[in-house]
Amino acid sequence: MAEPYLRMVGIQKSFPGVQALKGVDFEAFAGEALALIGANGAGKSTLMNVLGGVIQPDAGQILIAGQPVEIHDPLQAAAHGIAFVHQEMAILRTLTIAENLYITSFPTRNGLIDFEQANRLSSSVLARLGHDFPPETRMRDLSPGDQQIVEIARALLGEPRLIIFDEPTSSLTSREKARLFEVIRSLKKEGVTVIYITHLLDEVFGICERAVVLRNGETVGGGMLSQLTYAEIVRLMIGTADVSSYFRHRTAQIGDIILKVSGLNQKGVLSEISFELRKGEVLGLWGLMGSGRTELSRAIIGLDPIDSGSIEIRANGSLKPIQPRQAKKWIGMVTENRREEGLLLPKSVKTNISLANLPALISRVWPLVDNKKETQEARTYVDRLKIMISSLEQPVETLSGGNQQKVVVGRWLQRNPVIYIMDEPTRGLDVGAKAEIRTVILELADAGAAVILVSSDIDQIMSMSDRYLVMNRGRITQELPASASKDELIAAAAGGQ
Amino acid sequence: MTTVEKVESELLDVSPGKAAGARLKSSGFVRYIPLILLAIVIIVIGLYTPNFLTARNAINILRQSAALGLMAIGMTTVMIGGGIDLSIPSMMAFSGILGAMYMRDGGNPFVAALIMVGAGMLGGSINGFAVAYLRMIPFVVTLAMMNIAMGASIWITQSVSVAPINQGFIDVVMAKFGIIPMPVIFVAIVTLIAQVLMKNGIFGRWLFAVGTNVRAARVSGIPTQRVIFSTYVVSGLFAGLAAMLVVARLMSAAPTMGEEGVVLDIVSSAVVGGTSIYGGLGSPLGSVIGALFITLITNSMNMMKISYYWTLIIKGLVIVIAVILDSLRRR
Repeated sequence: MAEPYLRMVGIQKSFPGVQALKGVDFEAFAGEALALIGANGAGKSTLMNVLGGVIQPDAGQILIAGQPVEIHDPLQAAAHGIAFVHQEMAILRTLTIAENLYITSFPTRNGLIDFEQANRLSSSVLARLGHDFPPETRMRDLSPGDQQIVEIARALLGEPRLIIFDEPTSSLTSREKARLFEVIRSLKKEGVTVIYITHLLDEVFGICERAVVLRNGETVGGGMLSQLTYAEIVRLMIGTADVSSYFRHRTAQIGDIILKVSGLNQKGVLSEISFELRKGEVLGLWGLMGSGRTELSRAIIGLDPIDSGSIEIRANGSLKPIQPRQAKKWIGMVTENRREEGLLLPKSVKTNISLANLPALISRVWPLVDNKKETQEARTYVDRLKIMISSLEQPVETLSGGNQQKVVVGRWLQRNPVIYIMDEPTRGLDVGAKAEIRTVILELADAGAAVILVSSDIDQIMSMSDRYLVMNRGRITQELPASASKDELIAAAAGGQ
Repeated sequence: MTTVEKVESELLDVSPGKAAGARLKSSGFVRYIPLILLAIVIIVIGLYTPNFLTARNAINILRQSAALGLMAIGMTTVMIGGGIDLSIPSMMAFSGILGAMYMRDGGNPFVAALIMVGAGMLGGSINGFAVAYLRMIPFVVTLAMMNIAMGASIWITQSVSVAPINQGFIDVVMAKFGIIPMPVIFVAIVTLIAQVLMKNGIFGRWLFAVGTNVRAARVSGIPTQRVIFSTYVVSGLFAGLAAMLVVARLMSAAPTMGEEGVVLDIVSSAVVGGTSIYGGLGSPLGSVIGALFITLITNSMNMMKISYYWTLIIKGLVIVIAVILDSLRRR
């Protein structure tokens, strides 16, 4: 094959507590559509943000058409013919289509903006995408799909030689999708390199010729799609470590139903979710990213509103329906993004660990938090979870990822809820920290708590779960027992695609 | 100097996330700067102004800063939660006028005090409702409330100051214990209570959590909307308390009590005292010290016969510098 148009060599990038890219090598050829695939947190977006000049790598080199280039910001990337269609749209809602397209490069006449020309140019670029919106339409009056089309049109303006699409179809209808694929095909014919980031394998097989799979910041495989199957790709995404090396010595008695969810709906996100959770059980919520796992966790605990459905929790011996916003009384939640939704980063370990439990730490005399009691409790859970800190007053932002996560877990242990929801509790942690979090979760279940475990890491989820609910596109599509094999789980996650 | 150091260490203790080693290294010094400035200003003024460093003058400045200090506590509460309350001075004027009118018409001074505090809290709860539950922007809500309270004050007084005030009310509020005036004692006690509640009360802890990371607070089961709502009620409460001091000192009430310059002084006090305009950091004690600092500048410039315009310019610079330090601290 010819010399690759783009080569990225040994790209490394660390964020505090995580090494997002561990020396990735990556190539793309002119005129091909390359699928960049990986689970949540695999490093796809980080890698492409490096290419797009959004973030700077710690090490590594980028070559375009064989020439080494420096890309320090998105403008330089554009100068090298790289365009980026971001997943989160960067649109100016109150401005018109033409203004959005030409905001950095308005055509001018006599020093003033030449709106006539801008509108004419806008119409022609939109026509290329098969759309005929009047260019004076305000962005907020367009549907999300149409906004995405404008976003793509903007990427095309600079006549790029390489376009990165980051999950471009997440808000498109099937008709719009078909049109987008048309555009991608014609770009390929013009010799443009297309890098297509997605987790929807249908699309990959529909539009791309070649795939590269990332996992945990490394390239783990890939190849021509004509020689790969769904299952092989899913296996690469999820990992192939030998499952038999995990032992589960669970003695816990699975008890009564403690949580019952019936007919839960959240428009466009979740449909007809019903399941039961029992005391002492670890329920693995399994599925690919975007299958609705996280959304379901958040809906149960009242962080996102639901449209219909009921949630019942066993309190004082019998199941009673509750409002989702009351759920936090019984349910402890470890969110998937501990920095954004888990921790008060500049505050101390002690403050963070008592956060959910303050009313129980009140002194008997004053309506004030009892410092001695608070310190004692914090100390108890720091010791129990072996959190490595120099003092209880140390700010959590200075801790490693694993210790930060233990602080979040410790917060809920102190509160001692009957149900835990753990969303990606081991993401970004090293092997040792993963094992410790796993031990904690199993101990909780052994002590009679019920745990809903969400994880993209198949080895993690298989090493803990007593039962699996498989989710796909906002539905529970299958229920599998603890004895389910890795192949069964992979097939179930990929199922329906 | 030791007292200043002591105050500094107290100040640093305030945020529940006080963190010995690491924080001092990263941003500790920046947090000390306002107090170092205060010390420098005291020394400089002391050197150039005769009779400045006397007990009498010190008490005088303390008394003059009392109402500002109270309003700064209210502002700090709102700011820790990530908001701002521009309506404090005009709500202070309006609630003071209501209480004063009640006394002028022969009402009981105790009831009048309750009216002042109650009116402040009512106004604050309207602000709080709009911000917390209707999700309106604090700046706009409280700017509107500022105008509404100001307009209402002028309307009900017809721009005539409300007098006379019940002499008993004045005597009690302006009483002296030895040489120390009642307002100073009152502010000292209130500051201490607020300080303790903020540091170890549930509401205070929740407030810092909400101001630091509202999403993490919500996930942890903290009633974030109720907390934000309450901050505006607290700030209204302090506007009412300040009204009592101001009305007693002036022996009358008038819409001019809530003139526009006051709001800048309040924000300056809070920010100079270590409250972050980004939320999550601050303390009542720090803000009261900030109020002292602002009063000190105003006063000494008066004594040095520096023109009013220069005073405004210098006060403006003080707030700009304090905000620069605040944003440096966040890096």
